[in-house]
Amino acid sequence: MELLTDYIDFWQDKYESILTYMWEHLVISFVVMLLSIVITIPLAIYMTKMKSERIKGMIFNIANVFQTIPTVALLAIMIPLMGIGFKPAVAALFLYALLPLLRNTYTGIQSIDPSIVEAAKGMGFSSFGRLMKVELPAALPYVMSGIRVTTVYIISWTTLAALIGAGGLGDLILAGIGYNDKQMIFTGTLLAIVIAMLLDLLFQTFEKKYSKA
Amino acid sequence: MKNFLLTSILTVLLMALTACGGQTSADGGEVFEYGAQKNTDPKIMGQIVKLLVEDQTDHEVNITEDIPASPQVMSAIDQEDFDFATLYSGEVYNNHFDEDQVDYTTDPEKTLKQAQELFGAKYDMKWYDSIGFSNQYSIAIKQSFADEHGIETMTDLGSVADQVTIATDNSWIERENDGYQGYQEAYGYEFADARGMDVALMYKAIENGDVEAVTAYTVDPQIIEYDLTILEDDEKFFPPYDASLVARNEILDEFPEVAEILDSIVGLVSTEEMTELIRLVDMEEQSTEEVAREFLLEKGMLE
Repeated sequence: MELLTDYIDFWQDKYESILTYMWEHLVISFVVMLLSIVITIPLAIYMTKMKSERIKGMIFNIANVFQTIPTVALLAIMIPLMGIGFKPAVAALFLYALLPLLRNTYTGIQSIDPSIVEAAKGMGFSSFGRLMKVELPAALPYVMSGIRVTTVYIISWTTLAALIGAGGLGDLILAGIGYNDKQMIFTGTLLAIVIAMLLDLLFQTFEKKYSKA
Repeated sequence: MKNFLLTSILTVLLMALTACGGQTSADGGEVFEYGAQKNTDPKIMGQIVKLLVEDQTDHEVNITEDIPASPQVMSAIDQEDFDFATLYSGEVYNNHFDEDQVDYTTDPEKTLKQAQELFGAKYDMKWYDSIGFSNQYSIAIKQSFADEHGIETMTDLGSVADQVTIATDNSWIERENDGYQGYQEAYGYEFADARGMDVALMYKAIENGDVEAVTAYTVDPQIIEYDLTILEDDEKFFPPYDASLVARNEILDEFPEVAEILDSIVGLVSTEEMTELIRLVDMEEQSTEEVAREFLLEKGMLE
């Protein structure tokens, strides 16, 4: 009980800065998410149309390499290029988000039954019409699950933004570790989990609604 | 065949288990555990302890590195996972005790005394007198910036504070006594912006000109490397972080020869010496063991 009242006191004391951290966290994750959807999904669709296996392999390899660069190293490379704060954090997280989104979307579209595509061809769809009316709707569940998985990753990775001065819930967690404040660590972690779960739920509802229609 | 496989797996598992628990050194002594935080100075101190203990006794010391921060090291000592560590006197103000238990002061002696008494009792360990170096918060700016604006003290910095962005570690902004809030009250000004970040990146940021000031630790070799200058804390705002070895009382009682070695390390390394040792490790990429061995040879404590 004392634990609970202590924790309520903590919130009353700190809610302003907690909300700021949360806001920073949301803004960074959303911008990263938007950027990676806008860039990666068309790229993945284009790749399914690509004939050359070599170029495809190369793109996946590049995305793979970004994924394996240790965070602090990647951020250190960013500083001379983009300084500190919001911009380098978004850039670094975008590079990390590239692989899961690309691979999930690509595999999703690849796995559409080829006979559906053939049927659409037979009905006289142009290749753009085929993409919009047949292939994309059929691939939507896969694309959505790619976005869902990546969103959860990004929410958790955004805690790394605190390493380069962009704030976010990671700031609260790292401050708690350094300052021996378990309530800060707990709150930062809890809010990151809650945000990830809510977004996942949101995507799930969205997906259900559209796959029915 | 199946039985053979099963027995061999069991044997390997058993061996692994005993290796964790039994702890006998090659010479039939104990294997002690030393825990080091993420910064380089506790790692070097770990090697110094290891070299001396292994040189003078049959015991061995195993070092675990990169524990996030001092509070986590203390919990591990509490769990008896670590026997030795290097801790800092100012840690006593770090949210471990209720306000009526600790008396906040920036006086080095009183701070050390409180740390020795309070932590000693809380974790049943001995907190030695200072090793001789201090790794405390301070504020550093580029030498060129200091010359240009004639800044020598933290008070002086106030005259240009509205054009200064400060990069700090992630906890300084939230710290109560010695954090940014307290700093504003003590010096009566705030910076244009304060950004929490990774300590290594903090120095990259000032080198790159993204920020004008950083909360440096006094032993950081980057201060020399990037031509920074530490401002004088003329209001005596920042508490001392004098480094001391700590050891569990149980170990010291049982192995007096180890206690004797730890005693000999008190006053051994000055702040300047530690800065140089850290520079050798962080910038010249020498191993902590090599650096510690050279240092002990120079001091005549190893042959």
